[in-house]
Amino acid sequence: MVEADREVMKAEMMKSYIWLQTTDGSIQEVEQEIATFCPLICQEMHSGLGTSKTYPISLPDRVNPAMLSLIIDYCRFHQAPGRSNKERKVYDEKFIRMDSNRLCELTSAADSLQLKPLVDLTSRALARIIEGKSPEEIRGIFHIPDDLTEEEKLEPLKNTMEDSRIRLLNRLYARKRKELKERENLKNAQNEEECVDNRPLDDLLSFINGGNGDSKGATASKSKKKNRKKKDQQKNAHEDNNPSNNISFCNAIDNDKKKTNGHDPSCPKNKLHGLSFPILSQLKLQDTRDINFAPEHEFDDSDLDDEIDPAMKEKIDREVEDFARRLNSDWPERMQEILCLGQEKRHIPMSMNGNDASVKLNPKIKMRSEVPKHSSFI
Amino acid sequence: MDHDSRLDIFSDLPHSIIETILTKLPLRDAVRTSVLSSRWRYEWTTITQLVFDDKCVPPSDDRASFENCLMNFIFRVLFLHDGPIHKFTLISQFLQSCPDIDQWLLFLSRRDIKELVLQLADDEWFRAPSCLYSCHKLTRLELVRCELEPPLKFKGFLNLKNLTLQQVVISQNDIEHLISSCPLLESLTLSYFDGLELTIRAPNLKFLILEGEFKEICLENTPLLMAISVAMYMTDDIAEHFEQSLSCNFDKFLGGVQRLQRLSGHIYFTKYLSIGSGRGSTPIVFHNLKCIDLYQISFEDIKEVLVLLRLVVNSPNLEELQVSGTSITSPATESYDPDFYENQFPADCKFKHLRTVKITDVTGMPLEMAFIKLLLGHSPALEVITITPSVYVADGKLNMLVSLLRFRRASSLAELIFIQEPL
Repeated sequence: MVEADREVMKAEMMKSYIWLQTTDGSIQEVEQEIATFCPLICQEMHSGLGTSKTYPISLPDRVNPAMLSLIIDYCRFHQAPGRSNKERKVYDEKFIRMDSNRLCELTSAADSLQLKPLVDLTSRALARIIEGKSPEEIRGIFHIPDDLTEEEKLEPLKNTMEDSRIRLLNRLYARKRKELKERENLKNAQNEEECVDNRPLDDLLSFINGGNGDSKGATASKSKKKNRKKKDQQKNAHEDNNPSNNISFCNAIDNDKKKTNGHDPSCPKNKLHGLSFPILSQLKLQDTRDINFAPEHEFDDSDLDDEIDPAMKEKIDREVEDFARRLNSDWPERMQEILCLGQEKRHIPMSMNGNDASVKLNPKIKMRSEVPKHSSFI
Repeated sequence: MDHDSRLDIFSDLPHSIIETILTKLPLRDAVRTSVLSSRWRYEWTTITQLVFDDKCVPPSDDRASFENCLMNFIFRVLFLHDGPIHKFTLISQFLQSCPDIDQWLLFLSRRDIKELVLQLADDEWFRAPSCLYSCHKLTRLELVRCELEPPLKFKGFLNLKNLTLQQVVISQNDIEHLISSCPLLESLTLSYFDGLELTIRAPNLKFLILEGEFKEICLENTPLLMAISVAMYMTDDIAEHFEQSLSCNFDKFLGGVQRLQRLSGHIYFTKYLSIGSGRGSTPIVFHNLKCIDLYQISFEDIKEVLVLLRLVVNSPNLEELQVSGTSITSPATESYDPDFYENQFPADCKFKHLRTVKITDVTGMPLEMAFIKLLLGHSPALEVITITPSVYVADGKLNMLVSLLRFRRASSLAELIFIQEPL
C-alpha cells in the first residue's frame, strides 16, 4: 500500500503547475495541462513565464478571478480525453446557464485568452438570448441605453407596415397630399373666375380710389394689403379689426394705383358679398384662404395685366409642383414637430403655411413679371 | 438595483464577437439590432454573411405582396450593407426569378463573394447572368433550378472548392468544362440531371455525389477521390443504352479511384456497374475502402451479385458493409447454382477487418442467403450482423431465421441481430 501511495504522490509531483495573475493582483496556481488549453497561456508559457510564483503570467484585463475560475472549469472538463461528444454537449449546455451579464463577461474573457471554442459557445448563447425578442426586451436584458430618436428608429429596415407610427405618418402625409391637390384644383378653378371677376373689381377699385368714404369696401382690400406686410396672419386679423389702421391704408392705396388692384381671385366673391361684413370676410378668408391670400396680396402689381393664357398656366403648374416638392422635402421635419408637439398640431399647420408663404414671398416680390398669385399654393 | 447605473457591457464587447453573434442570428433579428441604440445602429452592416429566406419578412396570404416585401427587404439590406460580403444565401419557395436578381448578383460580384447559394421558386428557372462568371473568389457555389451558359472565354472558377448543381440546365460540354476548369474542386454534387454522359476530370476531387439519370459516368482523372455516392435512376432510353453498351462500366467508374474510402450506391447503381465485362482488365484493389453501402441490389441478377462480390473481395480493409436487396421479387431467371459462391470466391479470402454488416430488405432468395452465409463464414473479426427481413416477407421469416442460425460463424464474437419489426 505504501508503495501505491508513493506512486500516487509521484504522479502528483510530476504534474507541473502554472502561475496566473489577474489584474487585481491575485495569483492562482493551475495545472499546466489545463491552463495550456488556452492558446494565450500556452504562448506565454513558451516565452518562459508562469513557471514560478514570482514570474506569473499576467492575464489580460478582461479576465477577472471569477471568470478565470469558470474558464478553468471549462478547460478542465474539455481537455480530458475520454469524453464523448454527447457528454461535452451536455456539459456545455449546463455551463452557459448564467445571467446575460455574466455571459458577456465570460465571452470577453474567453476572447482575450483566444479560447475559440468557448467564444463560439458563449456567442451562440448570446445569440439565442437575442433571437426573437423585441428591441425593448433586448434593451432591458442588456441595459442598452435607448438613445435613438424616433425618426432614426423609423428607418425602413423592418417591415414598415407593422409600425403604427409609420401608418400614422403615412396617413398624415396622404391627407396633406390630398389638401395640396384640392388647393391646386381650386386654384385652377379660380383662374376661370378671374376673368369673370376682373371687371367688376376694377370698377370697385376705381370706386374705392374715388372715395375714402366707402371704408367698408376699402377695409377688405386694405386688410389684404396689410397681410402682405405682416408675417403672422393672426396678427393681421387683429390689426384689420382696428379701424384706425384701415384709414392709413386707404392712403397707401391712393398712392399706389397699381396696388389698389391687388385683388385676389378668390376674394372678390367674398368681397362682393361680404362688403358689409369686412371682419367676417376677413376671418373667413383667414380660415380657408389665408394661405392663398397672404402672398397674393403682395403681388397686386401684375394683377391688372393678368390674363390667363397657356404659357402662364404652364408657369403656374410648374410653380405648384415646385412648391409641392419643397413641402415634401420639409415634410419629415414637419412630422417630427407634429409628433413631438402633439397637442399643438392644429396651430402648427397655420404657422407652417405662414412661414412657408413668407419664405416664398420674399424672392417672389421682386419678380413682378411672374405670376405671383399662383405661387402661393401650400 | 438601480437599472440605469448598470453598465452596458454587452455593447462594449469587441466588434469581432458582436459580428459572430449577429452572424448566428437569423438575418431579420440581426437587422433589427439597429434600433437598439446609437452604438448598435450600423453594427449589423458589416457582417459578411447574409442568409435570406422566407422567414425574413412576415408571412402573408398574398404571394405577390410577399414577394415584393422580400425583394424590398433584400434590396434595402444590400444597399445599407457596408463592406465585403463573403456568403450570400437566398432560399425561397415563393420568390420568382426576375431581373432584380441579376442586379444582386452583379452587386455581389463586386463584393468578393465567396459562397453563393441560390434556390428560388419552382415556377421559372433562373437564368444565370454573365456576372456570375466573374465572381472570381467563389469557393462554394450551390444552384438549384438554374440555366447555366458559361461564356466561351470563361476560364473557370479558380478558387472553387465546392460545387453543387441541382436541376440545372447546362450542356454536356459546358458542365465537363466547368468541372475540369476548377482546379481546386474538392466536392462535386450533381442532382437530377437528365441523360448525361459525364466524364469527370478533377485532380483534386475528394467527394462526389451524383443523382439522376446518367447514361455514362467516367471518372477519368480523379485520383484523390475519397467518397462516392451515386443514385442512379433509370428510364427506358437509358436501359436500352445499357443493353447496347460494350464498355465496362465498372472499370470506367472505379478504375482510377485507388484512394476510395467510402462507396455508396443506390437504386440502379449496381446494375449500372454490371454492364459490360471486365475481361482482360487488371483487378483493382481498393486498399482504403472501409465502408460500402449498396442498396437495391437485385440478387436475382447474377451480374449484379458479381459486382458486389468483386467489390467486397477487392477491399481487403473493409470494415463496414451495408447491403439491401430489392423488394421486388420476380421469378428467378436463372437456376440457382449452389456452388456459385464457391466458384467465384477465392477460398483463402477472408474479410479480416469486417466488423459491422447490415443486410436489409432480405427476401430470402437463395443467392442472398448464400451471400450472408459467405460473410459469416469468412469474417473472423465480425462483431455485429443485423438482418432485417423485407416487409413483403410475411410467413417466410421463421424459415429465414432458421437458415440463418445454421450458418457457421468464423467469429466467436459475432452477434446476429434479427429485426422482427422493421422500422
